[in-house]
Amino acid sequence: MPTPIYAFGIAHLPMLGWLAAAAAPILIHLWSRRKYREMSWAAMEYLLVAVKRQTRRIRFEQWLLLAVRTLLVVLLVLAVAEPYWERAGFALTSAGRTHRVLVVDASYSMAYKPADKNRFDRAKQLARQIVEQSRQGDAFTLVLMARPPCVVVGTPSMEPGEVLEEIDNLKRTDTTIDLPATVSMIRQLVQNARRENPRLTQHEVYFLTDLGRVGWVPELTGAAAADFQRRSRELAESAALIVIDLGQPAAENLAITRLRSLEPVATPAQSVDLETTLKNFGGQARSNQPVELLIDGRRVEQKLVELPAGGEVSVDFSYRFETPGNHAVEVRADGDALEVDNHRWLVVPLRQSIRVLCVDGRPSGEPFRGATDYLVCALSPQGDRAEQPTVRVEVAGESVLLERDLGDYQCVFLCEVAQFTSSEARILDAYLRGGGNLVFFLGEGVLAERYNSELVGQPGRPGQGGLHLLPARLGKIAPKGTYFINPLEYRHPIVRAFRGGVEAGLSSTPITRYFKLNLPKDSGAKVALALTNGDPLIVEEPIHAGRVVLVATSADTSWTPMPVGPGFVPLVQELLAWCTGGRYKQRNVEVGQPLRASVSTPATDVPVSLQTPDGGSRELQLHGDGDYATLDYADTAASGIYRARFSPPIDRTLLFAVNVDTAESDLTQLSVDRLRNEVWPGVDFLYQTTWQKLQEQPAGQAIAQPGRLHVDLLYIVLGLLFLETFLAWRFGH
Amino acid sequence: MENSRKYLDPKILVRLEGLQLRARLIVEGYVSGVHRSPFHGFSIEFAEHREYAPGDDLRYLDWKVFGRTDKYYLKQFEEETNLTCYLLLDTSQSMRYRSDAAAMSKLEYAQCAAAALAYLILHQQDSVGLVTFDKEIRSLVRAGSNPSHMEQLVHVMEESVPERKTATGPIFHELAERLKKRGLVVVLSDLFDDVDSMMAGLKHFRHHRQEVILMHVLDPAELDFPFQQATLFQGLEQLPEVLAEPRALRKAYLEEFGAYVRRLKKGCRMHQIDYVQMRTDQSLEVALSSYLASRR
Repeated sequence: MPTPIYAFGIAHLPMLGWLAAAAAPILIHLWSRRKYREMSWAAMEYLLVAVKRQTRRIRFEQWLLLAVRTLLVVLLVLAVAEPYWERAGFALTSAGRTHRVLVVDASYSMAYKPADKNRFDRAKQLARQIVEQSRQGDAFTLVLMARPPCVVVGTPSMEPGEVLEEIDNLKRTDTTIDLPATVSMIRQLVQNARRENPRLTQHEVYFLTDLGRVGWVPELTGAAAADFQRRSRELAESAALIVIDLGQPAAENLAITRLRSLEPVATPAQSVDLETTLKNFGGQARSNQPVELLIDGRRVEQKLVELPAGGEVSVDFSYRFETPGNHAVEVRADGDALEVDNHRWLVVPLRQSIRVLCVDGRPSGEPFRGATDYLVCALSPQGDRAEQPTVRVEVAGESVLLERDLGDYQCVFLCEVAQFTSSEARILDAYLRGGGNLVFFLGEGVLAERYNSELVGQPGRPGQGGLHLLPARLGKIAPKGTYFINPLEYRHPIVRAFRGGVEAGLSSTPITRYFKLNLPKDSGAKVALALTNGDPLIVEEPIHAGRVVLVATSADTSWTPMPVGPGFVPLVQELLAWCTGGRYKQRNVEVGQPLRASVSTPATDVPVSLQTPDGGSRELQLHGDGDYATLDYADTAASGIYRARFSPPIDRTLLFAVNVDTAESDLTQLSVDRLRNEVWPGVDFLYQTTWQKLQEQPAGQAIAQPGRLHVDLLYIVLGLLFLETFLAWRFGH
Repeated sequence: MENSRKYLDPKILVRLEGLQLRARLIVEGYVSGVHRSPFHGFSIEFAEHREYAPGDDLRYLDWKVFGRTDKYYLKQFEEETNLTCYLLLDTSQSMRYRSDAAAMSKLEYAQCAAAALAYLILHQQDSVGLVTFDKEIRSLVRAGSNPSHMEQLVHVMEESVPERKTATGPIFHELAERLKKRGLVVVLSDLFDDVDSMMAGLKHFRHHRQEVILMHVLDPAELDFPFQQATLFQGLEQLPEVLAEPRALRKAYLEEFGAYVRRLKKGCRMHQIDYVQMRTDQSLEVALSSYLASRR
């Protein structure tokens, strides 16, 4: 039980200057003693006796009256200066107007609803009461603590009505919180207020939060951690920090932490395996917990699971989609006080098949003599024998780049293409902007200089054509030898499937020749596979809306026997899955991440109507970029399915699934000791737990009770006036 | 009568020049319509007998006639004036005091009263003398009944200068020894002196069978102490000065003063001395007539 802190302050400090007027009764007394009339007096004998008898009494009466009159002036001045006391404020000895920064935690854990109101509604109610119980002339700033934090009222507002309206309009997000960014933002707001409004002499920051451990313990190290500590201390030095904890220590919660499709690409030819994970963050086991699967809003399956306390279970569903297009998959597990994380969504774009174009830079009439023959087999092992092939592969020569619309293909493999002209490079660039994917295999015929000059650039310094299409520059061809693969602990998704599969032979397959690849500094490229000598073998980089993979060796057996080894088919399949999964991934994002999609259209200014999960609708505009137009929408604070309807001539609907970061589902509270010792060491702040108090008494009283001392003082002044009149009459002064 | 009465107001009297004129106005205002003297003689000739009636003064019962006739007869006398009255006028410094509320100083008021009494006594053919004093006897005018004697009395009164302290006790003792002829002694003073000493002196007069009337002349301010603002009171008769807040002191002063007056009255009662308090803002007619009427 925290000890309430009582603070005393003066609303109008300059008025205290009038305390000098308290000297007036004393001065008048002294002056009156100097100002007297002179008179001859006959009955002096009796007067002298009276004086002698009354001297002590008269002196006492004079001091008493003087004290009453002086006190009267002092109290009157104090009353006009409007002194106040507050519980929960810091000992703010300075007075004047107060700038109150109300920081409302809008993370989704604030949706926890143990009673009739959830935490967020309580926070809003408290914020309202802080505003309503403040003095006239106080100013308010309103900040929504989310990821990213959002300033609702930035310039200190002295209009309580407007601030109350903004508080009423606050909406909770489905994000977590970003404490470092919030602290930086508040610090900047306070600094601005101090600079631009010097009349605000006092600053207070109220954090209305559930103090969730996940959000309040930022994972920072090194310079970032030091910077956060420094900014926090600076904030505490410039403003009083008050943390009002609205959380509950033992909050039960169940969350769906994962939902994914095990198939990289869904086609009508096969069922899609869906894997979902339920986690129990509470201390009570759940028996027969229902888990429902909904496809496009229709419940198709339900399973009952046993969920131990603090444990998690994996639940698998399988579903065969029939109609091409985007499908919204939802898994639901109701039954606790935090509803937000009881759902998880997945958008599954269903294609009839995946179309892949293989560009052969060294075509040959003989089987398996060309640059792409092994690759085609690896991409579609069943070949033409399959009735509904998942992958449809087309092989063409170099000229195809200028002849065909690459937008029809989900992925283009470029094998030992000697060089690219500028126009071909521009086509590839446009293809990437439209969400296409490129995989480069090299070989003897590749002209490294042409690759480097046309396709390689650096951030801010693209290639000659101004383009950046390759994740790495091509160096010299390594001397002929036997090089083995370093799988880099199978960390990269492309090779993750090989983990534990020694028989796949990935690490035992030699590479005889390869191009040395040089990754530009500060590029976003990653090495998926390397050689034991440290040289990169497979490098990938998301470029524009697509993905690019550069393989340093050939796709045939001229530089490596890998195409005939057991690992080649899975490696190529994983390459294709990773590339095409990029689009898949773009449709399934976390709260706060932008929605992005590229569509192939020469038309610009195509209107898009975006339907948000809360039922709202936004009218957006596509950004035209050559043959492609891009949809970009950043306000994804709410979780659920977003539907983007493109008007003609595109006339399509794209679905996006936005899910919460379930780290926030852990409702464990941060203790005040940990907050003081680990998060904010050396930062002075006041901690309040008001939940129980708020249930017992009118809310807000526990936070701030500006005492109306001036009214009491005026009553005392009135009483002293009567007393002075009575005493003056009684004493004859 | 009404016209003359209006001149008895001190505010009017003070405008009149000449004490004799003031005295005449006062007395004429009083005696008009009054036919009997308030002062009775002692050595007067027998006139006739009258049968006693209940309520008559037994002093005048003729015991010889009673012895002879066994009947009660009262002796009746001709009112032949041979009264001797001495007016003792205090001319000490304290008598000089006059507050804003009073038209006359205490001395002026006492002079008017003394002159009026002298005029009245002379008017009824009696003798009147005058003594002015402070700590010493300043002048003594032997009693006379000649109407021209008035001028001498008035002259002495007007010549008196109040500038010394009072010492009534020794003065009264001295006068009691010097004025042994039985008669009437009228003291006009503010009596700001030691009460016991003063009473001892007055007792001395009574010892010589003198009838004593004490006319205590006081300023209204001395009785009411009405001052509001801080005042530096400068004592007359060589008393120290004192700076005081009158409103705070009023009650204590009035208590002290009241105690002093009560002691004075008590002393007068004990020694069968008539005590008459005169406020200088009070009409002389009221002051004199109320007392003289009571003597009749």
